[in-house]
Amino acid sequence: MNNGNPPFTPKSDTPITSAVGAKFYKPPNTLKQKVGSGGLANEILERAQSLIEKNEIDFNPMAEHYLDMLRRNIDNAYNPSEQMTNEQVMTSFIAPIMQLKANGGMFHYPLISRISQHMILFLENIEEPNEDLLEILQAYYTTIRAILVSKIKNDGGQHGDELFQALASACKRYSEKYL
Amino acid sequence: MAYDFSKASILIVEDNVPILKLMEPVVQTFGFGTIHTARNGKEAFELFCQQNHDIVITDWMMKPMNGISLARMIRNDKSSPNHFVPIILMTGFSHKQRVIEARDSGITDFLIKPFSAANLYQKIERAIEDKRDYIEASDFMGPDRRRKSQINETFEGKDRRTNPQ
Repeated sequence: MNNGNPPFTPKSDTPITSAVGAKFYKPPNTLKQKVGSGGLANEILERAQSLIEKNEIDFNPMAEHYLDMLRRNIDNAYNPSEQMTNEQVMTSFIAPIMQLKANGGMFHYPLISRISQHMILFLENIEEPNEDLLEILQAYYTTIRAILVSKIKNDGGQHGDELFQALASACKRYSEKYL
Repeated sequence: MAYDFSKASILIVEDNVPILKLMEPVVQTFGFGTIHTARNGKEAFELFCQQNHDIVITDWMMKPMNGISLARMIRNDKSSPNHFVPIILMTGFSHKQRVIEARDSGITDFLIKPFSAANLYQKIERAIEDKRDYIEASDFMGPDRRRKSQINETFEGKDRRTNPQ
């Protein structure tokens, strides 16, 4: 079974070739042909959104997994191996934080997504880790743990803002000193 | 009149099971008639070659094959049944450099996590209504990376791509 779609590859079409050697195709949009026009009713979107909002999936085991990964990577950075480049070390921090950012908001922890997004944007500009950076990462780790342990869901209100501001200020001080 | 997804098929690729569990009923609510899931790019490509889905939504970071490699295989591999299928890449990254890296793999669009049902639907709707040409060059195969509005607003010279003379 192949959902009724015949195979469609560039070789079965006649492309326009440009002066720089690129070929242009206007392939049929099989998705459009199947679904037609007119969009979806708001009522359907609301029902779909309600499925996301009412999901009862426990975020904690997933979050613990990525926090453990971050913990190990911070520890490794205190005892750097010659085999890891600075880029690899930075990636080892960003990867678990990105997962926390991506998934927190899907499972009732938008504050974790907000704080993690700020950390990612901060880390993306740093090429070389140092001890001050590792301290900020420790603070991030502790903050996320506290949010999970205290089950601070949604935006966390004023307390959530304070947690965010504390970490954002640390990132700002670091940027002013080193970047 | 409204979209009727009952004859359309979708492939969702995600290594994170809770996200898969969340997305399946959401696209079911949209009305997709056929929903398949895969846990990584390798598994997804095999399934895509068998089923030839109408749209693919894939996560970026997966092992043994990630979403970027999956997009490249769908666009370039000889065994791919449709090099032009819409591919939406899900990721937590929103930094410009990461967006450019993903765009250059030939994906159709980005879906930044966390997302709402409306965000997901907007990306699917954009793929349905997408009128961009597909370009095959020595180092790229995928939808024209220039959005039409960008072309009209910023480029005033001769279009050497579509007008060789």
